[in-house]
Amino acid sequence: MRVLRGRLVAYGLGAALIGVGGAGLLRDAAETDPAGWLVWFAGAALVHDLLLVPAVLGVALLTGRLPAPYRGPVRVSLVLAASVSAVALPMVLGLGRRAGDSSRLPQAYGAHLAVVLGLIGLAGAVAVTVRATARRRRPARTARTRCRCPGRWRRACRSRPSCRCR
Amino acid sequence: MLRRPDPARLITAIGRFSSRERDERDERTAAWLGVALGVSFTVAFTTGLISHFMQHPPGWAVWPSRPAGLYRLTQGVHVIGGLATIPLLLAKLWTVYPRLWRWPPVRSAGHALERALVFPLVGGALFQLVTGLFNIAYFYPFPFFFTTAHYWTAYIVYGALVVHVANEWAKVRGLRPRRAGAGARPAGPSRRGFLATVAGACGLVGLTTVGETFTPLGGLALLAPRRPGVGPQRLPVNKTAAAAGVRPDPAWRLAVTGDVARELSLPLADLRAMPRHVVRLPIACVEGWSAEATWAGVRLRDVLHAAGAGAGARVRVESLEAGGRYRASEVDPPHWHDGLTLLALDLNGEPLSPDHGYPCRLIAPDRPGVLQTKWIARLVVRGS
Repeated sequence: MRVLRGRLVAYGLGAALIGVGGAGLLRDAAETDPAGWLVWFAGAALVHDLLLVPAVLGVALLTGRLPAPYRGPVRVSLVLAASVSAVALPMVLGLGRRAGDSSRLPQAYGAHLAVVLGLIGLAGAVAVTVRATARRRRPARTARTRCRCPGRWRRACRSRPSCRCR
Repeated sequence: MLRRPDPARLITAIGRFSSRERDERDERTAAWLGVALGVSFTVAFTTGLISHFMQHPPGWAVWPSRPAGLYRLTQGVHVIGGLATIPLLLAKLWTVYPRLWRWPPVRSAGHALERALVFPLVGGALFQLVTGLFNIAYFYPFPFFFTTAHYWTAYIVYGALVVHVANEWAKVRGLRPRRAGAGARPAGPSRRGFLATVAGACGLVGLTTVGETFTPLGGLALLAPRRPGVGPQRLPVNKTAAAAGVRPDPAWRLAVTGDVARELSLPLADLRAMPRHVVRLPIACVEGWSAEATWAGVRLRDVLHAAGAGAGARVRVESLEAGGRYRASEVDPPHWHDGLTLLALDLNGEPLSPDHGYPCRLIAPDRPGVLQTKWIARLVVRGS
């Protein structure tokens, strides 16, 4: 009962906030251009759902073919690289620069992004190398401490000191 | 079990969102990311409202002038936090993406409504982050005025978020640590790794931009649209004198009019002859960057006292600028009584450059940069 009442209050509050926002957009239509706003509002979701995620799924499919030890570091590097690139893109394009104002977008963003991406790539390469080396050494060690714990623990036991298999 | 055509399953398999037993873990990943997003959007909504109401104060509210760096902090958190939220939001949408294609699309009227309300949440969250990012990059490909659209959309997103949280609360409660043995599930390496990767992406975005407002990390602000120390007199500029259409005028005088005991018309030499004060205050822009500088000039309260303005008066500071949304600003009593509030004449030891408001500009503590009016022509006093 208490939970239900809490929910109804939340629904009421949420609906009220949505109403305030919608009414404000319409009231200030001269500035918000509701039709143009809707294009961007819905467009953001559509571009994300129909273009961005399928593209990322494609990359996931490709990186899925990598040998298991390399897959993780490569994917992590790609996620980091894509994130900083997405945020930096408007700066790199520099479309907001204005003649006469040298303090607006003052940096060499393309070069800076290249440096950041280079560092990410370097870290990824180090991780891959470390994993490859560890993999070559591992078989002997695995044989010595073979896990005998129940199936549902097995995946996790190497990271759990409390696992009874030790 | 009856096999239905389920596109979600195919997507799940491709993205390796889960394998056999991991469905529930994906749910927990999504819940953790949801908690982080809930915190992030709450902070963004709150700091955004602070910024809005500082610029458009409702009649009953008066903003304090201290702490001097408060607005710098709230707006820095708003913008840099917003940038760092971009990878977080994309990660959350990635983990729940297969559900978009679940078959059948709706199971009941309630389910249809629940799904329909996800649209303003997703569309709105993406809209806020994309338009916010474009705005700080001064890139305006959209047909609406950014500030107004971003402001009203915030209510829609936050309302949809409140409804969403009410629907998903049970899953968040399920995240509390359980007693060992009683069905405790270890966080698999894959979930922990995914969450750590997302945290790393958010941190990296923050690290490469936060220096535009947090000066000690200024050297790391490689991807930030501003850099403290870069600009005329080592301070960034948002509107140049040329863009404002203002030219230095040797016959310039500062007029003080309105509800005053005696109107004043002060040439620059008279202002310079008044007691001079030096303050260190930041320009804190609504776009999130901020930079501290050393300002010297006359206290606004000294000028207003000389004109005989009442203690409760409100002052309108008008610029030489002919038009524009920010050609004038209001200064309420807490701000003009504050000894840090100056009619600045010098910046970093030199007379103001034209781009910083020569001959005279306002500089006050805890105040958005757009309200630090440049090229002051008149002070109009209202009330007593």
